[in-house]
Amino acid sequence: MSASNLQEQTQFLKYSRTVGMTTMRGRGFYYPVDSAMARDGRIYVVNRSSERAPADTVRVTMLNMDGEYFGVFGAGGDGDGEFLWPSGIALDGDGRVYVSDEHLHRITVFTASGDFVFSWGAHGSGEGELDSPSGLAFDLDDNILVSDARNHRVQRFTKNGVFLSAFGGAGSGEGELDMPWGLTTNADGDVFVADWGNDRVQRFSSKGRFISQYGGSGRGDGQFLKPASVAVDTKGYVYVADWGNERVQVLDADGRFMQQLRGEATHSKWAEDFLGINVEEADARARANLEPDIEFFNDDPHEQSSHIEKLFWGPSSVILDPQGRLYVTETHRHRLQVYQRVD
Amino acid sequence: MASAKSDRSLVVLQLSGGNDALNTVVPYGNGLYYDWRPDVRIEQDKVLKLDDQLGFNPSMAPIKELWDEGNVAVINGVGYPSPNRSHFRSMDIWHTAEPDGIGDSGWLGRTIRELDPKAENPLIGVNFGRGLPRALSCKGVSVASVGDLETYGLLPDIKEQNARDLALKAFSQIYGSAMAHDTISEFIGQTGIDALRGADILRTAPRKYSSSVEYADTPIAQSMKSIAQVMTADLGTRIYYAQNGSFDTHAAELETHAKLWSDTSNALGDFMDDMKEHDMEDDVLILVFSEFGRRIRDNSAGTDHGSGGVSFAIGGSVNGGLYGEYPSLEERDHLEGDLHFNTDFRSIYSTIAERWLGADPVSVANGQYDQLDFIFETNGS
Amino acid sequence: MSNQDIQLLAHLMRRAGFGATREELAERSRDGYEATVSRLLDTSNPVSMSEHLIRRFHPDESSMLLGSSGIDAWLYRMTTTNAPLLEKMGLFWHGIFATGYAKVINAKPLSDQIRMFKRYAMGSFRTLLLELSKDPAMIIWLDNQQNHKGAINENFGRELLELFSMGVGNFTENDVKECARAFTGWTIGNREYMELRSSRDSDWPYGRISWHFEYRPEDHDDGEKEFLGQTGNFNGEDIVDIICRQPATARFISRHLYHFFVADEPPVPQWPYQPPRDPEAIETLSQSYFDSNYDIRSMLRTLFNSDFFKSQSCWHEKVKSPAELVTGVLRLTEDFERPRYETVAKRLRMEFMGQRLSNPPSVEGYDGGLTWIDTGALVERMNFASEELGNTMTPGSQALIRRLAADNGGTVTPERLVDVCLDHLGALSVQEETRSRLVEYAAEGGDIQMDGHTLGEKARQSVAGVVQLIAATPEFQRA
Repeated sequence: MSASNLQEQTQFLKYSRTVGMTTMRGRGFYYPVDSAMARDGRIYVVNRSSERAPADTVRVTMLNMDGEYFGVFGAGGDGDGEFLWPSGIALDGDGRVYVSDEHLHRITVFTASGDFVFSWGAHGSGEGELDSPSGLAFDLDDNILVSDARNHRVQRFTKNGVFLSAFGGAGSGEGELDMPWGLTTNADGDVFVADWGNDRVQRFSSKGRFISQYGGSGRGDGQFLKPASVAVDTKGYVYVADWGNERVQVLDADGRFMQQLRGEATHSKWAEDFLGINVEEADARARANLEPDIEFFNDDPHEQSSHIEKLFWGPSSVILDPQGRLYVTETHRHRLQVYQRVD
Repeated sequence: MASAKSDRSLVVLQLSGGNDALNTVVPYGNGLYYDWRPDVRIEQDKVLKLDDQLGFNPSMAPIKELWDEGNVAVINGVGYPSPNRSHFRSMDIWHTAEPDGIGDSGWLGRTIRELDPKAENPLIGVNFGRGLPRALSCKGVSVASVGDLETYGLLPDIKEQNARDLALKAFSQIYGSAMAHDTISEFIGQTGIDALRGADILRTAPRKYSSSVEYADTPIAQSMKSIAQVMTADLGTRIYYAQNGSFDTHAAELETHAKLWSDTSNALGDFMDDMKEHDMEDDVLILVFSEFGRRIRDNSAGTDHGSGGVSFAIGGSVNGGLYGEYPSLEERDHLEGDLHFNTDFRSIYSTIAERWLGADPVSVANGQYDQLDFIFETNGS
Repeated sequence: MSNQDIQLLAHLMRRAGFGATREELAERSRDGYEATVSRLLDTSNPVSMSEHLIRRFHPDESSMLLGSSGIDAWLYRMTTTNAPLLEKMGLFWHGIFATGYAKVINAKPLSDQIRMFKRYAMGSFRTLLLELSKDPAMIIWLDNQQNHKGAINENFGRELLELFSMGVGNFTENDVKECARAFTGWTIGNREYMELRSSRDSDWPYGRISWHFEYRPEDHDDGEKEFLGQTGNFNGEDIVDIICRQPATARFISRHLYHFFVADEPPVPQWPYQPPRDPEAIETLSQSYFDSNYDIRSMLRTLFNSDFFKSQSCWHEKVKSPAELVTGVLRLTEDFERPRYETVAKRLRMEFMGQRLSNPPSVEGYDGGLTWIDTGALVERMNFASEELGNTMTPGSQALIRRLAADNGGTVTPERLVDVCLDHLGALSVQEETRSRLVEYAAEGGDIQMDGHTLGEKARQSVAGVVQLIAATPEFQRA
């Protein structure tokens, strides 16, 4: 990205802090793919891990933005309360936790403290059936919206999994979807969907009628490459995890580009703990240049992020808290970067 | 005891992930241990005491029993110069006995070559698990890797017995006739026939086996049971390999480590009971190792990668007791925050090669190393 | 096109690719042999499963924290590519410039190296050698980060000459030292931190960091050097230039190409003492190397269009490597078009057969040839191929069943069944005895009665059984 398009943006959000770090188990994240926040500020981070890692590395980590750790729940597997390919996480009005599984094609429900309640979902392409459910969100009636990725549609269910309605369908036209990923609703119940394969965000009415679309393929301002997640605040500002471009973009309520974030991570509390025990790593790190000036393969932001640690790498989820702070979950850097409003 | 060396077998149990030596053989008599381990520690009253300084992790009761019988050698302070704290590299070093470069053969592969230079028995070495560990690899050495003894062999996905018999018959004819052609065909043909024969032999083991020992339903216990089955079937197997893990306890160490050692000790205890039942306890030597130990200081929930570890030799012919020195916990004696090794792991290999299996210790251990006395002297040859 | 021509194309596709389905052979046969060679050599627009798709479903295949990370993605590429020769060349260079996880202990630089190989695989050998000398994984693998002005480490310098370009007997010990001197100061950025992290498997606090090449002029020995009879203040580029001009280099690379694509040569350490199987072929390829200014693509064109390659005497003379076997089988199933949870299980089979990509047994790469075959590996090879190909639900099997149905509305005899299956699996030719045994085996199930254009369950089992047994034949192990 060039310096010129950085000059034009409005300073809307500024960096606040980094939370979390990489650990295969316990206090930390391992390929986190989505987050959700409860009213008391507790953050639930779902860790996808890898098919090649031990089963107990798949988990939901509970913490808050100050780095207080409340434990983990869930594990790899196909039993009750287990996941193989966990993808999305959302909380209902009662604070229960819902996690989607793209391989088992089901939604699993936990209590706020992580006890298994039940799961539902059937594999298929028929009404109410799922094929790689990913993003989750609740609507104004506390029904759940599921991004049914490989069926290229969004389906709405009651909290118990009773099918209510669906919209979308494979394609690139207005209202059509290609492997949708994250989704959210605004105060009016409109549904915003990260239309991953079509490099855009689409806005639907609460009934699923197409309203508008943002973006289009590219690396420029307001353009997207495989967007993964979208959040909308009370004023209508739209925050997009522009996953393929390794950045977050903020649009105003009319879809005009406001700001892009490329990542500014610093040491989290947990990272400081680690470096405090492993001092020789801390020393070597302090002497290293973590922002080398080098050429990246194909000038690709993904490659750039692989070399420069503070930049977003795999921003797969954006959520907002009541204070308007933005939490960006980075799959490949196993952390959350928090941004706050300038005003 | 006093079996002929040619009757003896070696079981190598790999604890993958880096076993925390300090919480395995706990220096409970040393206050420094509790200073360095404010959180991830075993309290004095919990350890299974070996003497007034050291005690086993409380999950190791079956091994403690074997210790009391005099059948366990605890080898403390095991490692090698310039320790590497990467799982992969350190494991490779243990497997090849080559810390300086990339070794091209495993120590057990070389052992097998020594024991069966003409490669006459395809079952001299049997690995339990899929995929061959580097320790067993060596040019010209064929080792069977067994995922599941019951279904081991060719075309296991043809479930229907009659169909499978027909397929195997056709297979045997095809591979038999292949030998009449060029050298590549001949080689593949012969290997196919050998594979079929080896599989047929191996699969008979569970049927021949009977025992009153009931192994637990854990992967390591099932591996040990399979080893007992092959061992009692008397197929000429000398080297067995099994793994348990993951001992990579960066977090939640106390619970995880307890479960791992409980599974491991129970499996080993049951296995030795089984050996006793079959009157074979003097003919088997079990070596338990891990690629490294862990940091002396804990990270409040677990421990990070360190160096200096503990190994065990277990069996009826083992001269039980403590070997090597327990590394000092004084800060000035640390090696970059880790336990300082004092016994080269290749000493253990050298000892086992020469004194247990009658193989050339220099070739097996990749050099000359001081041997330890954990094996009773016998007249066997 | 005659059956002989189809057989020749099948040979080409087994060597320049991972084999081909009967449909693919039929399609390519319309263009003819030379045009097929040209199409294989055209790698301007390689398409395989999208990186984004792999990354979305398998994030670790992208940022790579584990020892085997990146290999599943490699398998996806080999299996779904429209440019199989490019993937073969990736394996080819990986086999020669063999670099492994056991020492590098960071999967991303290894994966970056393979990507680099494919980028330069078929261009100028000079460019490739130069990129290799700057490759971070290679630098660590052969200790060039410890090759300092005034304190050389010869490891890279030696292997560059011995294993990567000229071979033993074509240079002196002094050339090795001078070569090492020329590469002093060629290191990786943040060497100390990156080395420390590798030696601890550290992915803390925020995952792995990619490596980059760094040239440190203050650590470079700028003095005069005498290398292969030439004198100058050589830097690494000059050394690569001089190496590329050597006839020994041309012969060495030619022999490697012959070994990989035509027929097995003895192990590399024996090359100085044992003449090539076909000295004339090596001469032809060497000539092509110089005529084209070290262009690998030109050498490949020469090779594939040569009589020594087309000759029936070298058909089936190669043993498939596990990577080739697994990829070939998965391509035949045509069932690998989307990221799947089960991919890792399939890739692991390759390891059980004895090949860990990006983790070769030594700096000399994989031994290859008949050493791929031992009892354990052979069992894995046969079981994998027969399990995958015997699954009648895959698109590949469905196509076979459709073909049987379209062929003959009523009865399929055992002979016909065996011949169609052999043909379907890439115009496979087998020994007459093998065919007879297969027919006998098929006859146990009797004739297959087609029910219109579909197969009943019993017929389906007969087809699966024959395919499974074909997949377990000695012939199927060979390329």
